[in-house]
Amino acid sequence: MSSNPQIPNPHLQSSSSQSLNFGSKGLRHGSDSEGFSMSRRDLNDDDARLVYVNDPLTTNETFEFSGNSIRTGKYSVITFLPRNLFEQFHRVAYMYFLIIAILNQLPQLAVFGRGASILPLASVLFVTAVKDAYEDWRRHKSDKIENNRMASVLVDHRFQHKKWKDIQVGEVVKVSANETIPCDIVLLSTSDPTGVAYVQTINLDGESNLKTRYAKQETLSRVPEKDFINGLIRSEKPNRNIYGFQANMEIDGKRVSLGPSNIILRGCVIKNTDWTVGVVVYAGRETKAMLNNSGAPSKRSRLETHMNQEIMLLSFFLVTLCVIVSACAGVWLRRHQDELDIMQFYRRKDYSEGQVENYNYYGLGMEIFFSFLMSVIVFQIMIPISLYISMELVRVGQAYFMIRDDKMFDAASNTRFQCRALNINEDLGQIKYVFSDKTGTLTENKMEFQFASISGVDYSGEKTEFYGEQGGYSIQVNGEIWRPKIKVQVDPKLLKLSKTRDDSISSKEIYDFFLALAACNTIVPIVVNASNPNEKLVDYQGESPDEQALVYAAAAYGFMLIERTSGHIVIDIQGERQRFNVLGMHEFDSDRKRMSVILGYPDSTVKVFVKGADTSMFKIIDESLNVDVVRATEAHLHSYSSIGLRTLVVGMRALSVSEFDTWQTSYEIASTALMGRAGLLRKVAINLENNLNLLGASAIEDRLQKGVPEAIESLRKANIKVWVLTGDKQETAISIGYSSKLLTSKMSQIIINNNSKMSCKKSLEDALITSRNVINVTHASEDDASSVALIIDGTSLVYILDSELEEQLFELASKCAVVLCCRVAPLQKAGIVALIKKRTDDMSLAIGDGANDVSMIQMADVGVGISGQEGRQAVMASDFAMGQFRFLVPLLLVHGHWNYQRMAYMILYNFYRNALFVLVLFWYVLYTGFTLTTAITEWSSVLYSIIYTAIPTIVIGILDKDLGRKSLMTYPQLYGSGQRKESYNAKLFWVTMVDTLWQSVVAFFIPVLAYWKSDIDGSSLGDLWTLAVVFMVNIHLAMDVIRWTWISHASVWGSIIATCICVIIIDALPMLPGYWAIFNLAGSGLFWICLLGVLIASMIPRFVVKMFMQHCKPCDLQIAREAEKFRNSMEITRSGEIEMNLPHR
Amino acid sequence: MDHKNAKKPSYSRFSQQELPAWKPILTPGWVIASFITIGALFVPIGLLAWSASDNVVEISDRYDEACVPDDFNSNAESFIQNPDTKKTCIRNLKVPKKLVAPIFVYYQLENFYQNHRRFVKSKSDKQLRNPEDENDLHSCYPEANTADNKPIVPCGLIAWSLFNDTYKLSTRGKQITIDKKGIAWKSDTKAKFGSNVYPKNFQKEGLIGGAALDESIPLSEQEDLMVWMRTAALPKFRKLYGRIETDIEAHDTIKVEIENNYNTYKFGGRKKLVLSTTTWIGGKNDFVGVAYVSVGGICLFLAINFILLYVFRPRRLGDPSYLSWNRHPIN
Repeated sequence: MSSNPQIPNPHLQSSSSQSLNFGSKGLRHGSDSEGFSMSRRDLNDDDARLVYVNDPLTTNETFEFSGNSIRTGKYSVITFLPRNLFEQFHRVAYMYFLIIAILNQLPQLAVFGRGASILPLASVLFVTAVKDAYEDWRRHKSDKIENNRMASVLVDHRFQHKKWKDIQVGEVVKVSANETIPCDIVLLSTSDPTGVAYVQTINLDGESNLKTRYAKQETLSRVPEKDFINGLIRSEKPNRNIYGFQANMEIDGKRVSLGPSNIILRGCVIKNTDWTVGVVVYAGRETKAMLNNSGAPSKRSRLETHMNQEIMLLSFFLVTLCVIVSACAGVWLRRHQDELDIMQFYRRKDYSEGQVENYNYYGLGMEIFFSFLMSVIVFQIMIPISLYISMELVRVGQAYFMIRDDKMFDAASNTRFQCRALNINEDLGQIKYVFSDKTGTLTENKMEFQFASISGVDYSGEKTEFYGEQGGYSIQVNGEIWRPKIKVQVDPKLLKLSKTRDDSISSKEIYDFFLALAACNTIVPIVVNASNPNEKLVDYQGESPDEQALVYAAAAYGFMLIERTSGHIVIDIQGERQRFNVLGMHEFDSDRKRMSVILGYPDSTVKVFVKGADTSMFKIIDESLNVDVVRATEAHLHSYSSIGLRTLVVGMRALSVSEFDTWQTSYEIASTALMGRAGLLRKVAINLENNLNLLGASAIEDRLQKGVPEAIESLRKANIKVWVLTGDKQETAISIGYSSKLLTSKMSQIIINNNSKMSCKKSLEDALITSRNVINVTHASEDDASSVALIIDGTSLVYILDSELEEQLFELASKCAVVLCCRVAPLQKAGIVALIKKRTDDMSLAIGDGANDVSMIQMADVGVGISGQEGRQAVMASDFAMGQFRFLVPLLLVHGHWNYQRMAYMILYNFYRNALFVLVLFWYVLYTGFTLTTAITEWSSVLYSIIYTAIPTIVIGILDKDLGRKSLMTYPQLYGSGQRKESYNAKLFWVTMVDTLWQSVVAFFIPVLAYWKSDIDGSSLGDLWTLAVVFMVNIHLAMDVIRWTWISHASVWGSIIATCICVIIIDALPMLPGYWAIFNLAGSGLFWICLLGVLIASMIPRFVVKMFMQHCKPCDLQIAREAEKFRNSMEITRSGEIEMNLPHR
Repeated sequence: MDHKNAKKPSYSRFSQQELPAWKPILTPGWVIASFITIGALFVPIGLLAWSASDNVVEISDRYDEACVPDDFNSNAESFIQNPDTKKTCIRNLKVPKKLVAPIFVYYQLENFYQNHRRFVKSKSDKQLRNPEDENDLHSCYPEANTADNKPIVPCGLIAWSLFNDTYKLSTRGKQITIDKKGIAWKSDTKAKFGSNVYPKNFQKEGLIGGAALDESIPLSEQEDLMVWMRTAALPKFRKLYGRIETDIEAHDTIKVEIENNYNTYKFGGRKKLVLSTTTWIGGKNDFVGVAYVSVGGICLFLAINFILLYVFRPRRLGDPSYLSWNRHPIN
């Protein structure tokens, strides 16, 4: 999704047109976007693809369009090696390895032997290649299954079976119900006479509801087998925008425009439509589904960014070491200038040939240059390149644990936690701001109809325990009982009223109200089998959960929608089947914030029903008709929203014949217009929707998800600021704020809702003063009384964001404990995240479930998607996805904390481990005439980071736990250690480096001094250093391991044993210079004395400092760890009380 | 499995990160105990090592300057390079303490970089082991072959620069036999140097770097060569010359007859003759003893300090009042 052209620029302030970029709502108004773009530029033949309908030969004649066979596998057997290598070398780490290895191949620079120098690179390449090959093999397998699926394709006026991979652009394909679409097709006709096809796009965007697609009137009557359709489609070039499509079709000399509602994409499934016929426009890898097959967005974690700074420092150290060595080498050569010719260990002159010439000596300057390059080769692992690979492995391990955590499994939706981005695990441990969506994130997004206000009468009385008589409303169809799938609690009084049919005004209004609920929507009823064979359930499929709730409510009161086609609807009203013609529909758009449907009654009267948000509805309601009703409804709406309910207002107007005719003409003109269709339709709608008669209002409850108040409390205790950004009304937002414990009665609220920039400025200034006062007055105490909650609405944000007022808003918001933004547009959500991101270094996390949260999720440092009701676009854009909001607590407090601690330690440890080895090599170089000889054998140098010390750090990085889950959940404050960067910062880096320096000095000089003036040979001393260093780094790690499982034991001690075995093997090979050295060495007492001395002396300073700090300045984690070990659970609760009761010590 | 929870991760202690684990916490007791243990271990070992080193008798004599006749003083190089000058030189060594057999005879070179990059690599391990590989010379230049392109065995700078000073020791007019058998590593004689590889074209022409080899003796029996070819780790090093199996009494004078052939004058290297006995820690070296005693001493000192710290500034382990949010509440 990252490069999806839809992703809007977050700094754009917009409310209207951009919103159709967001997901399902945008999709429904496919005609909008089409008309919109068509008006700007028409497709010219240069950037169009020409598709001749049912003429694949001509279509593919001039242009080679992609066939329908897909290859998600990247490699074939032949291309695997070159392509895989090519891809691997795109990474800086591997390039570094490669350059070093190439340098080493130059004879003047050959520090290591051929084999030894290539081994590290080769082993890394090999591991990665095996991994890639395995993944590719799996992809090939699934490709094969896909490509060999069957579809029926029109060949010689007959539909014949053909394999998917053989389908070509231009061919006509027929797809039956419940079949998957093989490629992107433009609809020609469907089994529905009006040309509607219902599709499920779950494979594409994960939305399980049905969407409607239309065939064009010009084609829908054709029978492909008989009539020869001679058309030419000009479509845009393949692109990855799954919500956009523009094209036109020339058919019978007419030019028809095509939009996103006319195309069905590969991977969708046809539902409720017997068959559909379409022409292939994009096939194979050019289909939108395939073009969207890109991986998760790639972000870089904060820790890694810091690490890269430290790596720059290490590079600087490396260069310094190399400069020292080459400079000293230069000085040495210069001082011995005259002696070099015949000096036994240099022998510059070659006397073996006739004339005497220099052997392997290129002048002082070149020799210095060569020593510099050689020292780079010798000291290469100063830059811990292997760290990048270790980090990837550790993240995979951490992801495994997060995914497998059964406390983050959502049983309700049967979803596991998902790790979509693999490189920001540790960011989860440093979050300071959480930006949360409300609907579907804090709430379940399972709408339940609660109250209704009909013509000024509030029906919010007691709910019955039973759902009407005999378990809800049902109807008889062909001897079967049909009932709605979901039962709704009903108000008995209203139920009774809705059943009485008399001519009283109230009865009529109730009738119209429920008719509006049942009709004014885009819900498609689907009849499914129930457990009881005589029973059928009616499942209402639709894109908006609010509409679903309203239709279920209408059904419960006896207005059951049972059929919907594009031309008519059938509603069973109190047992009496009624058919209404749907003469037109103005779908919802975010400008009007309402939708309307024009119904033709059986008695040929025509009425328009409008449903929408209260703000937009009251503007178009004719108040003069009944002022009292309007006022009463307004009061009811206020009381509904103040208890957190979502409200909708319903209105109606009868159309006179002339009105209807005017409307119909303009509607037809608008809906067939080629240019600016969306704008025209909107105008038509606005002209129609006025002077409405207020029918009433509905209140829908969107219940809070389980555990949300507790989760928010935990997050706030963890010093994470929770901001809620919602599209809801202010009252709704505030009431949800209270019920989710985001707001408390003690807090002082600052509310900003203004309509101009000046007033915004003034309110911000006032608010800043207020907040300062509140905080100052109650400074002494720490609880909610001193906290300020800021409530701001979208209109004000329009004036504030992207202006100089942003700074003030930020200042104000950072003082507030809680920020609630209501009525915000999707782009504003991203704008608010950017407001924080731009000005602070603090990490932000955005969590949301809907398409309107995508921009926010992508803007934040960490994006979390809720895999809930609203589809999966948020999940697709997110870095992590989970089923419930409350999982955020274990995700951040437990996994985030562990990930951060583990990763931070691992990075520091890797720096130490590599620098120690390099320094030991460096000290030795000072004793070799600066010629970069290594006493440690080249094989040991190579195996050092591959075998000797690689595994423990990875294992500990995956498995070590500084604290148990219980402690971390009980004391959310412990999360602060990550926010304060306690485990990785510049100070720790320098302390580690000083410690490394000390350890290297001990490791090098104790053996040197012990063997001074002795007959020790280079290989033996090298073996001693190898073992000493490997023992040291493993013991160092062992000292920091907090939780020893058998796996940690095996890896740490196993590495030491493996090292010994390797050293023994290396010394048992007669062709290597160090033959038998270790055996001779191990027989001497001095060796063991040296080893023990090195180990103890090197660790003492570290141990002392650690113990001293632990005792005198214990960090929170340390205390909690001790408490975990030494206090029983009784005392843990007691200390919990201390924490609650004595906060002001 | 219930369909509803089909995707529920199956429980295992591993995947829930609940493997049984040992969670050590270093309590004050452990800290003090470990310091005391280290102290108690290191001080005695250090004292033992110290006394062992003290018991070693070592006689060392630098002879490179003294063995140049006065008239060559200003130009030692021409003395050593001239094949006609008399290289024999007599040195008298006092024996301060009784030398108990076995006494090891070493020569010590200083400022000689046997670990120099150009030097360490200048040999052919293959050629040394196998007569068929006598042409494996790529690493041996510039001492790889003769002017008429015959391979030199053993090739390379290391072999070429073989040390060639010799020593004859006598005391009270009686010759002391220096046993030169068994001075090389057993492993070298068995596997690294071939018993059927004989020196060829060695030190025959061009620049003579050091000792010549008897072409009738296989490399596996040329122990001086083997010792020399185990290149030393540091620029100041000793090489075993031979072993004396008889005791030498205290206050005796050892008369050493040195054939001073090896040219270290070019680069200011020093040559020494060393006679030394050994103990379990090797030759004379006080460093190990001193280091151990000081590390042990420091640990005991730290133990005392930590005891004082824990006594005067005690802290109850796991006391929640030390938690940062209890000490200074967040505003």
